[in-house]
Amino acid sequence: MFIKRKRGWEIPESEATPEAVFHDRRKLVQAMGLGVIAASATPGFIAAAGAATSAPDPTADLYPAKRNETFTLDRPLTAEKDATTYNNFYEFGTDKDIYQEAQALPIRPWQVKFDGMVEKEMTVDIDDLIRKMPLEERLYRHRCVEAWSMAVPWTGFPMKALVEFAKPKASAKYVRMETFSDAKFAPGFKQFWYPWPYVEGLTMAEATNDLAFIGTGIYGHPMPRQNGAPLRLVTPWKYGFKSIKSIVKITFTDQRPVSYWEKLQAKEYGFWANVNPEVPHPRWSQASERVLGTGERKPTLIWNGYGDFVAGLYDGLKSERLFV
Amino acid sequence: MIPWRDYSGRLSPPKLIVFLALFAPALWAAASYPLGMLGSRPLTEAIHQIGLWTLRFLFLALAITPLRDILRWPSLVLVRRMLGVAAFAYVMIHLTLYAADEAFDLRKVASEIALRIYLTIGFVALLGLAALAATSTDAIVRRLGRRWSTLHRIAYGIAGLACIHYFMQSKLEQWEPTIVAGLYLWLIGYRLLAWGFAKRGHLATGWVLGLGIAAGLLTALGEAGWFWLVLHVDPMRVLSVNWTFQAGVRPAPVVLAIGLGIALLGAIRWYRQPAGRRGARA
Repeated sequence: MFIKRKRGWEIPESEATPEAVFHDRRKLVQAMGLGVIAASATPGFIAAAGAATSAPDPTADLYPAKRNETFTLDRPLTAEKDATTYNNFYEFGTDKDIYQEAQALPIRPWQVKFDGMVEKEMTVDIDDLIRKMPLEERLYRHRCVEAWSMAVPWTGFPMKALVEFAKPKASAKYVRMETFSDAKFAPGFKQFWYPWPYVEGLTMAEATNDLAFIGTGIYGHPMPRQNGAPLRLVTPWKYGFKSIKSIVKITFTDQRPVSYWEKLQAKEYGFWANVNPEVPHPRWSQASERVLGTGERKPTLIWNGYGDFVAGLYDGLKSERLFV
Repeated sequence: MIPWRDYSGRLSPPKLIVFLALFAPALWAAASYPLGMLGSRPLTEAIHQIGLWTLRFLFLALAITPLRDILRWPSLVLVRRMLGVAAFAYVMIHLTLYAADEAFDLRKVASEIALRIYLTIGFVALLGLAALAATSTDAIVRRLGRRWSTLHRIAYGIAGLACIHYFMQSKLEQWEPTIVAGLYLWLIGYRLLAWGFAKRGHLATGWVLGLGIAAGLLTALGEAGWFWLVLHVDPMRVLSVNWTFQAGVRPAPVVLAIGLGIALLGAIRWYRQPAGRRGARA
């Protein structure tokens, strides 16, 4: 029998943005006459968003996916404009407003390679992969290590389904994921002294946890490039840099992967990187977070509020630097 | 002294223009905020913009004396004080915006300044600027006399701290902090050379040229050395992008171009002087 316990951070469904209002918010904004102001203030955004969504996406018919109601929020969803114009994607530049540069990323054709400790190595076309997976929508909080946060409706599938699809051997202990590393369209690679490609990793227990999610879309449509199209990781109990974007390779291994940020600054960005307000970043406090687009500062929650799902994963790991 | 009047009390249009220009970045940020032009985290963006202008005004203030001597432009010194005082005003806005970002929880602001070393460094620089601003009225300048010059030399220490604060807050992007550090080397180098080799208050063009080249070279070596130490990247490869421009215009060529530009302007100013006064070439 499924018994639903109400968790501390949950809000009644009535407080969440109604889906109809959410999907029609552009019309709403236009009706309010704000569209003119928004367009004049950020013409680049409108153009970029147009470019990203006007190209026909071969999986567009799968959106919007049915929402999984297990995951609810304690705050309103972040405006789509904020979530799609304030992004860290260092392959395209070190500023937050790389959404225009990111439009140069060719997301079709796109292949994902599965290798390492798997029954059989394989390279899969992204559209075949997405169509084999059980797509659903989940509302998650997202907490960046830079002490800002957002609340986003991701579309995608449980990472557990991806692991089952890959058929790893029992000896595999970690999943290592890698972003594209092609210098032609992404200016970041010109700074070759940084440890490209972007790499991230999870333990097998983390990867097969219910919360670990692979994103293919956001706000009810396919993923914009700046948010990590066509395939990205979403681990809401960890700092955002763990949620690697635009994945091209998934390797099962018994060696703990060393991530891009860990290579740059192991003291500041470790393997575990679980959210904890009590453990400051060496250069700033993690006690609270600025919620994108609201002007609000909220107290940060341990495990970003997802302790019921994930705290148990770390019972035997107290000696590790779990929160860096 | 009223900021837009010269020493004889007359209205000085150049001073008035500089005085008004100093308000522009703050007004721009203040106007951008309600228009949503500062992005999704507007306070953070405003803190960064105002902090950057603090640094720019401070460096411009420090550049006035060398430029006055190299360009033989005595009246340039008229805007030095207002640049320095503007740097102080901007650093106060910078701190106030930081406090606003912490919802004016002043206990948190104080504990963060005490706990995070780059904030501590920035705060010490702010205290230094406050001391300099407080001793910038006509009366105090007169009363302190020679000691005023000695006291105001701490501006070089403050600029050094500001550089470190700027480097430490940056996560990955170090392009502009590296340029600032290179220009800092130029400023320090000029003061040392002028102290040792200036004749009748002027440093020969050859020295100024050499200083520009040295500052550019040290910037390149510093950058390559840093990536070698921290990321174990072949320093020769990093050095080479300075002249191949494969990674865009790197900091060292920018510092070099500024140094060479100043030397060139200085040479032109020297050449166009009446022949009898060229003796300072040495």
